[in-house]
Amino acid sequence: MNSSIIRYILGCVLKIEACLMLLPCLTAAVYDEVEGFYFLIVAFVTALIGYLMTIRKPSNTVFYLKEGCVTTALSWIFLSIFGAIPFVLTGEIPSFTDALFETISGFTTTGASILSDVEALSHTSLMWRSFTHWIGGMGVLVFLLAIIPMTGGSHMNLMRAESPGPSVGKLVPKVKSTARILYAIYFGMTLVEIILLLLGNMPVFDAITTSFGTAGTGGFGIKNDSIMSYSPYIQWVITIFMILFGVNFNAYYLMLFGYLKKAFSIEEVKAYFLVILASIGIIFIETIEMVGNGFKALTDASFQVASIITTTGFSTVDFDQWPMTCKTILVLLMFIGACAGSTGGGIKVSRFIILVKTIGRELQYYIHPKCTRKIKMDGKMIEHEIVRSTNVYFITFMIVFCASVFAISFEGRDLVTNFTAVAATINNIGPGLELVGPTQNFGLFSPFSKYVLMFDMLAGRLELFPLLILFHPTVWKDLYVQKCVEKKRKKELGL
Amino acid sequence: MFKKSPQKQGLQIIIVGAGKVGSTLIEQLTKEGHDITIIDRNPAKITEITNMYDIMGVTGNGASYSVQMDAGIENADLIIAVTGSDELNLLCCTIAKQVGDCAAIARVRTPDYSREVSYLQDKLGLAMIINPELEAAKEAARILYLPSALEVSSFAHNQADMVKFKIPEGNVLDQMTIAHLGKTITNDILICAVERNGEVYIPSGNFTLAAGDVISFVASNKVTRSFLATIGIKTNRVKNTMIIGGGKVAYYLAQQLLTRGINVKIIESDPTRCQELSVLLPKAIIIHGDGTDQDLLKEEGLEYIESFVPLTGLDEENVMLTLYAKKVSNAKVITKINRITFQDVINSLDLGSVIYPRYITSEAIIAYVRAKKDSMDRNIETLYHMFDHRVEAIEFLINSESDITNVPLKDLSLKNDLLIAFINRNGSIIIPTGQDSIHVGDTVMIVTSHAGLSDIEDILN
Repeated sequence: MNSSIIRYILGCVLKIEACLMLLPCLTAAVYDEVEGFYFLIVAFVTALIGYLMTIRKPSNTVFYLKEGCVTTALSWIFLSIFGAIPFVLTGEIPSFTDALFETISGFTTTGASILSDVEALSHTSLMWRSFTHWIGGMGVLVFLLAIIPMTGGSHMNLMRAESPGPSVGKLVPKVKSTARILYAIYFGMTLVEIILLLLGNMPVFDAITTSFGTAGTGGFGIKNDSIMSYSPYIQWVITIFMILFGVNFNAYYLMLFGYLKKAFSIEEVKAYFLVILASIGIIFIETIEMVGNGFKALTDASFQVASIITTTGFSTVDFDQWPMTCKTILVLLMFIGACAGSTGGGIKVSRFIILVKTIGRELQYYIHPKCTRKIKMDGKMIEHEIVRSTNVYFITFMIVFCASVFAISFEGRDLVTNFTAVAATINNIGPGLELVGPTQNFGLFSPFSKYVLMFDMLAGRLELFPLLILFHPTVWKDLYVQKCVEKKRKKELGL
Repeated sequence: MFKKSPQKQGLQIIIVGAGKVGSTLIEQLTKEGHDITIIDRNPAKITEITNMYDIMGVTGNGASYSVQMDAGIENADLIIAVTGSDELNLLCCTIAKQVGDCAAIARVRTPDYSREVSYLQDKLGLAMIINPELEAAKEAARILYLPSALEVSSFAHNQADMVKFKIPEGNVLDQMTIAHLGKTITNDILICAVERNGEVYIPSGNFTLAAGDVISFVASNKVTRSFLATIGIKTNRVKNTMIIGGGKVAYYLAQQLLTRGINVKIIESDPTRCQELSVLLPKAIIIHGDGTDQDLLKEEGLEYIESFVPLTGLDEENVMLTLYAKKVSNAKVITKINRITFQDVINSLDLGSVIYPRYITSEAIIAYVRAKKDSMDRNIETLYHMFDHRVEAIEFLINSESDITNVPLKDLSLKNDLLIAFINRNGSIIIPTGQDSIHVGDTVMIVTSHAGLSDIEDILN
């Protein structure tokens, strides 16, 4: 385990966070709010710590998968801790646990809040809250890869640990160019959304924060009733952009370079749209009588489906009041999640495609025990290794899920609340049902339960294993042993 | 966003085949900042190599149109086909030429085609056809013509030699400065690199040579032998040689040696191959037997042979045979190492002359790539790595006027650790002094420890 490179990258991550904190400071300057000073102080301290950590260049730049995972997990934990401090200092979220919950919820693009009155926050804090979504959506380390020149060829391991999906491919041969292209697409789409929202007469501040929330598929609203009070035009723009940000970014890359046919023939993207259309259809039919107005029913159905499947978590209606079928569909959509290689969470459409195909193949084996059949996707054979890791991922996901439901059950709340609270956090959605429904918040849980849910959010965003590896004793033993050997070597040289 | 600034932009290169040469090329070319896509049939190899280097991998048959499209052949500048099969390599390049507007390099090594290389290259429109076995054999042959050298390479269309040898104890060069050497012995050679205790120096005039140093010098090939004779080093070529293993390198080597009248004995364990060789090389003695059998080696006179070249497919066997031959005879030994990469260990074994066929291939290709990256009017003719890639010798063709032409060399402010080794003007080799200057139409060889030089103007500070 190469500790010096881990330290160095963590330092870089902190420096970047310090720079990013200047955006809320800017907001404070615009709105003339005192909260900006706290952000400025924290940004300065973060930058200083980051600087101290990067003062010594890493002695060894070798980078393997385990370093990639450990660095990613630690980066996200560091980011969240430093990101939470301003909330505590400004006194808007006095408890550190709550502030940390809010920040992790932001960075992991969950959007689950512990605040009962969002509108009481200053513009500065609201901006930071929404901005964490935008940062977390594409990933900080991907950003790091895009801007920092790194030597050695193995930094693909960083990207692999942070980017969602069963297998992470590059768009172009160099990691750096790939990361840059991804951020360019991300930035461009966010900008288009802001402009479209402004055209719908949304205030500038609202347009920017809502776009950040949509782009990262996060879901922090700046109003207590989320998006409910905005015009249908704005709701439709947000619906469309939520769906767009849930599409595999490879498709956009292909489109940019004119391979439209290829982009639309990606199996995952097709399945994703199919699921969305089917869900909207069913919910529309189920709710049209209740709502009475066909257009409104369609708007609400589309918005909620888009919000849940892309794991954003905005809401325009209290879907907790909907018929049982609709609620069930939404809970199922939570688990499916968005496409791999998008900013959304959940288990991912492509994993479900692989899982369903595995079941099909298993059935085939029962009918023709000696047949040989490989699973294909987009006309290409899927390596056994990927099928295996997808299966393991699913099982691990379920175990973590059940364990979390059990861990928060001690508070004696009903099963639906507990079940959807975990589902909404591990899939990075935000609102669940019953006590954590769209009009409620997570403030009612005890600190212990909050830490469990925070773990779930990080585990869901980093796709389990990069986070779980931190709990493997060998990782820490490796670090310790290596330190000892290095010290010994230095001593010998000194003598 | 998608268009990078031109000077930073590397070439888009597709490499087909992730074997020994493929991975050596990737290692070198990624260092020089090119965008590389590798195509191989074996998904495990692709995974392994994409984990090691910052490149993109595509699994599939490199000669297939759709796989090449996946790898982005339309935007590629160069395709390099180095799979195990000559036919596949040629097919890859032919198809690539049809699909994209790119240059193509193929590795072709079967002797059947090697006689038709220029015809193939011309008809298929390939930028380069490379035959590593033939190149390795040529290098081995050059050493055998001058057995006291560790390495002999040729530049300027065989007009100039670069010779590497170790200064023996009590030689006149011991404790002599380079400036003194120029005054007292000859001005027609130039010492361009010295290795001492694992460190490589590009020497200046006041550098003092010592016994045990491994030095590389350049000279026109007429002068090489006379210089070595003057300082008391034997220059007669070997009269006979024993080759272990009858592969392609052995065949090419034997062929070259036989035409120069050197007796060749080949020991090969496969009877059918022995039959083939005896038809192909009627003048050679072909022995069917196990080349690693000590008794057989003794019976065939290893103790009295003048040179010994183990060319089996196994590197470990080659190294063992070399060590054994050094122990029992005074023969000049050349070791071929294909695969193993423990350079430090190999260096500490004191094997003498070592040839690495895969480096020979990748050097030729990298020279081409660097020249291609550069503007069209200045070109790299050859590129050669010395002392395990720590020093590069690059031959530039000067096609146009620039800051360095028509200026006496003493007035140029050259980088440190850089030498102008010779100027080739109309086929005559000039070992330059401060008064000489570079003209348009010359080729110039630069020896330097700065890696990645691609333009002659890079030599200036």
